[in-house]
Amino acid sequence: MSQRGNKKATAQDRMKRLLAMVPWIVANPGVRLSELAERFGLTEAELAEDIDVVFMVGLPPYTPDALIDFTFDEDRIWIRYADFFARPLKLTPAQALALLASSDGLMSVPGSDPDGPLARALDKLGSALGVDVDATVDVHLGSAAPENLALLRTAVAEKTDVDIVYYSHGRDERSARRISPWRLNAAGGYWYVQSWCHRAEGERLFRVDRIESVTATGEASSHPAPVEDAEAVMFRAAEAHDSITLRLDSEARWVAETYPYESVDHHDDGSVTVTLRVSGRPWLERLLVRLGPLATVVDAADVAEAKEIGPAAALRMLQRYEG
Amino acid sequence: MSKLERLLNLTAVLLETTQPLSANQIHERIEGYPEAFDSFRRAFERDKDDLRVLGVPLAIERVPGMDPPLDGYRIRPEEYYLPDPGLEPDELAAIHLASLTVKLDGFGDREALWKLGGISDVDVSRGAEAVANLPTDPALVPIFAAITDKRRLAFTYNGAERSIDPWRIDFHRGRWYLTGLDHTRGEERQFRLDRIEGEVQPEGEAGVAQRPEAPVSGRRLPSWEIGDEAPTMVDLLVDGSHAAWAAQQFGPDVEFVEHADGSITFTVPVVMRHAFRSFVIDFLDHAEIVGPPDMREEFMDWLRTVATGGSR
Repeated sequence: MSQRGNKKATAQDRMKRLLAMVPWIVANPGVRLSELAERFGLTEAELAEDIDVVFMVGLPPYTPDALIDFTFDEDRIWIRYADFFARPLKLTPAQALALLASSDGLMSVPGSDPDGPLARALDKLGSALGVDVDATVDVHLGSAAPENLALLRTAVAEKTDVDIVYYSHGRDERSARRISPWRLNAAGGYWYVQSWCHRAEGERLFRVDRIESVTATGEASSHPAPVEDAEAVMFRAAEAHDSITLRLDSEARWVAETYPYESVDHHDDGSVTVTLRVSGRPWLERLLVRLGPLATVVDAADVAEAKEIGPAAALRMLQRYEG
Repeated sequence: MSKLERLLNLTAVLLETTQPLSANQIHERIEGYPEAFDSFRRAFERDKDDLRVLGVPLAIERVPGMDPPLDGYRIRPEEYYLPDPGLEPDELAAIHLASLTVKLDGFGDREALWKLGGISDVDVSRGAEAVANLPTDPALVPIFAAITDKRRLAFTYNGAERSIDPWRIDFHRGRWYLTGLDHTRGEERQFRLDRIEGEVQPEGEAGVAQRPEAPVSGRRLPSWEIGDEAPTMVDLLVDGSHAAWAAQQFGPDVEFVEHADGSITFTVPVVMRHAFRSFVIDFLDHAEIVGPPDMREEFMDWLRTVATGGSR
């Protein structure tokens, strides 16, 4: 929305804006130019250039009485005789979908007000577009216990610390930690909280659905958020990892598309050799048991030992069935 | 005269006319076109393309009273004008905030906001942070347009040609899904958009696709529930230490029995057996497929295969 700069704007971009702005001026006689510029993301100079274009627009024979009529009074503007541009152009399907999906997605965040301005806006927008929103689009950003998410949102907003109990999937273990939460975001169907972890004395990304409890401490955050976005953190190795190199059959290539890898090599037969960061032994056990014969351990800190990780885990699981 | 001015004049004239205008009439009436007919024709073709890209609905109709028949152009007002949704300033600001926090890049949300009246509260954009960037998919817009136009769709999925009356799109578990009536199967089906092979093509006229008789659940199926076969009900026993997480994965629709030691048996509908196997492996030795016997045996066979894989 902050995109500015008419110089680079093409005729099409400016046309899009004018077809929306002229109807708005018609509907809001006497609007201040400064407000108009702000509303449509323009500098006042850019706005003046755009208005210049519309001065000669109208209908044949383009005599003064057939042109759009402009009136200026100091910094205010009126437009008349622009009946053909009395309403803006309909939303394209892509634009309609963008607004509905964004609004519905934000409504899906636990704790949003079901009767608030956004809910009302979504209703009105659906009616104007002739779309039954509930029956057509649903955007669910991620599952998380609403009370935990709400406590984390508050902590992020108020910059306070919280105590959490976290289940680490990679290590298959539980831990109690104090964290300074910086930012919440949803990606790939999960909520994440980017934080400073006091126990690990480092930056950590926690999946909110694996946080079993959140307790507010009321204490001001001792570690302010760094100026960077969460995605950078997500893709950075959060902890020191061992690496393992696997040869994957073509059927198991999804592994290289799913997990962060250090290197990947595509072979002619469709198989790939990929070096992955291991976030914990349970993580590797799951992966190897899941892949079974589709994966072969090629390299690791201790190759002989690594080759036994999958079979040993499978055997342990089997004991539960046979035991 | 600038191209922008000419495009605006062209739009104004085509909106105003009740009779379709021939290319010649447009050449004569609208200022800003070159004199020579060939040059006019080229400029006019480009202008028509520009209008289409902008989403201006250019209608081609026969010019009345012409022999031989002649095509003309106009813009039908009912197809052009956005009905006023009557948004209050706080409602417009809420939509603006939504577009900044839950982003769907490349879909023109900025232009969409202009059409609704622009930025009604500049403070909204200050400090607004994206909480989610929704992935886009080339099939999204054609599917959404088909739903709103009640148009049937054709595409290839799982290697089979499908003919679908599209009902709804859902974003869940980080992916987009389409639910609709699959005419090839005669049943309601759900499709993952990223698994659609090739392009989604509209099929036939608008208005012919059926709507569901009763509202369809937007519930997104987990990977092991997607498919054409009837599901098998599988009992999965999960240890108490992992039961809460399992319950969250299964959602409220899966039946379960809680045991005295805190463990839970879930009864899960399974279509895609290998997808369910992968999910059960996630629990390592904290869960167990209890039944039916063939599912239990199949899972054990897999574990045996992996266990004897040895030093591959």
